[in-house]
Amino acid sequence: MKQQEKSINTVIVVGGGIAGWLTAGRLAAEHKSNTDVGVKVTLVESPNVPIIGVGEGTWPTMRSTLIALGISETDFICECDASFKQGAKFAQWVDGGEDDYYYHPLVLPQGFTKTDMAGYWLNDSEQSSSFSNAVCFQEALCEQGLAPKTIRTPEYGAVANYAYHLDSAKFAVFLQKHCIENLGVTHILADVTKVNSIENGDIGSLTTKQAGNISGDLFVDCSGFSSLLLGGHYQVPFKSYRDVLFIDTALAVQVPYENDCSPIASHTISTAQEAGWIWDIGLQHRRGVGYVYSSKHSTEAQARARLADYIGDKIDSLTIRKIPIESGHRSHFWQNNCVAVGLSAGFLEPLEASALVLVEMSAQMISEQLPPTREVMDITAKRFNDTFLYRWGKIIDFLKLHYILSKRTDNAFWIDNRDPQTIPQSLQDLMQLWQYRAPADYDFASNNEVFPAASYQYVLYGMGFKSDYSNSPHLLNDKTFAQSQFTKNKQMIQQAITTLPSNRELLNKIKLHGLSTI
Amino acid sequence: MTNLVAINYGAHKHLKIDTAKTQEHSATQNMLPVVVAEFSQVSVQHPIVLAKSGETGEFTLTALLGFEQHENLFSKDGQWQGVYIPLQLQRQPFFVGDIQTEVAGDYAVCINLDSPSIVRDLAQNNVNDIQILFTESGEDSDYFVKMKQCLGYLLQGEIENKALIDTLLALNLVQPLSLDVTFCNKQSSRLNGLYTVSEEKVAALDPEQIGRLHKAQQLKPIYTMINSLGQLYPLIERKNQQLVSVND
Repeated sequence: MKQQEKSINTVIVVGGGIAGWLTAGRLAAEHKSNTDVGVKVTLVESPNVPIIGVGEGTWPTMRSTLIALGISETDFICECDASFKQGAKFAQWVDGGEDDYYYHPLVLPQGFTKTDMAGYWLNDSEQSSSFSNAVCFQEALCEQGLAPKTIRTPEYGAVANYAYHLDSAKFAVFLQKHCIENLGVTHILADVTKVNSIENGDIGSLTTKQAGNISGDLFVDCSGFSSLLLGGHYQVPFKSYRDVLFIDTALAVQVPYENDCSPIASHTISTAQEAGWIWDIGLQHRRGVGYVYSSKHSTEAQARARLADYIGDKIDSLTIRKIPIESGHRSHFWQNNCVAVGLSAGFLEPLEASALVLVEMSAQMISEQLPPTREVMDITAKRFNDTFLYRWGKIIDFLKLHYILSKRTDNAFWIDNRDPQTIPQSLQDLMQLWQYRAPADYDFASNNEVFPAASYQYVLYGMGFKSDYSNSPHLLNDKTFAQSQFTKNKQMIQQAITTLPSNRELLNKIKLHGLSTI
Repeated sequence: MTNLVAINYGAHKHLKIDTAKTQEHSATQNMLPVVVAEFSQVSVQHPIVLAKSGETGEFTLTALLGFEQHENLFSKDGQWQGVYIPLQLQRQPFFVGDIQTEVAGDYAVCINLDSPSIVRDLAQNNVNDIQILFTESGEDSDYFVKMKQCLGYLLQGEIENKALIDTLLALNLVQPLSLDVTFCNKQSSRLNGLYTVSEEKVAALDPEQIGRLHKAQQLKPIYTMINSLGQLYPLIERKNQQLVSVND
């Protein structure tokens, strides 16, 4: 190393929510903070600001994140009230009818890597099953409330791909303990009162009320909506997407189960309403339910009434939290020696549980690409900004997709959502292509993709979209193979429903016996 | 079917057991739990592997008897075909009951009254195979004493088994055993959910760890498990012979 180069030895993370602890944990695990030679990671948390605790749904990526942090799945499940999530059920999104629903499962379509199963399904004259049920065995598991694995399956192993539902407040506490006790993260409880710059515009140190000056080489802003460093200190502007995604208010509530034996749904249920949608997430000890809606299209009183319709009489005894939200993100995320992760970087409505996965992806890229010296940091910063601008854009497209395929006319909310003026050009282009064929891997060819082509297929064909193959029938000339895949899927459904326990039964067993590591 | 009741002299003084029929219990089991104390005998006949309990996910030690779910290649017409009869089979139709007794640490000996070995009509049985539980003076019969001993070995075995499994897991010596077998009729079978002891990992233990295993009398059972995998070949051969005789 050249003498004058400044090495990156100390990382300061500001904020003690899930974003802060996940980022600190990944950095500390990757860079051996619990040894003398490792990078020093310090997390500064205000003793006076409560964490927001949004995001109770994860992606399957959370399994690799927890593995990277060296966390036991049994401990995680027991201490974070966590349950298994096998995708999402979208109810009443197309026409609002009672039997209007489709699934976005986490298992790829059967035969997906070998042939265009969507094309064959669309052109099957005897089509008797929904797209996801015809090509994926997971919808059946969700409908029957079954777990994605058995007590014999090792930690993090799966029979059907899965993610988690978790209590975000408990998860933050759990991560904090693990990061401090096992990974060597230093925890300082202090309010940041001033950000101190050095000559090149970098942050040199933070002045705190309780713990004096804290200096570092890289500062990670996990301060939540306040975006203390990136938004506050560097004044990096927030780019709103409220003209694409209209939802701006959340009414959140915790709903107890009827009793200890009530089934725990193994998927997120998203039910469309007149001006938005209601999420329903089953944890071990309670459900998390909330209505996110557009205040331009619904009064708060109307919204509370819809939430009451959904939850029933017991809502009278529950506390409803109102949270203003705005979909959008900072124009960039890494400035000088400061990078934002979590709500300080941006927020999107929780329709596809993108909050925690963006935190995981950010934490992973920062820790794996941590610049060894200040001299090369600007290169990493640019790459990080390009990567995450692309990812936010793709997520916005994918969220919007759920709205533009709806046929609902019960409120201007749904009609306005289909106005081409509100649909990003990138999504409009893809929709043009998909008139003639199913979404394919080449439509999403970047290394930085968030959703695979299969996810688009599940939403498109789940919502009744038709791709017209009449110009290229030769693409569907191996009907025998396709038929064998449909048959195989039926067999897999049969096998899975006879061997898998209910979601609650497995969670109870894990609490009693734990999962084996092999 | 199982209909477990605790044994007492008054109710069971006339009960008769046909020992020729006790082995029918294993006819459709492809695995039989074994205890460390009988490893030497079991290992000359069966592969000894680890499997997980469907109820708790915990590891158990078990002898492999067949390749399909309900296939016992050591059972023919309800008769056990091996030289050694594992304790789990010897003790049939008796069980150690969960029934609370007044003395702590004491267990109730139970019997499965639905067992095919319970004699209902003497004319159906070979008189040489019949055993009684109690003598005319009300003492335990030699047969019953032997059965109680058997249950005692199994109870003691649970403790030794757990200690061995805990050691294997703590030293990270357990590895999944994936078996793809093709038989003489080209039919193939895949056995999942089985685990074994990794020979490489045992070989890589340092002398101090080996010393501790030796002291705990666990070194021999560990190598017995590894060696017992050689019994897979005779087991395949057994299956092949069965396939050939079916085709004849």
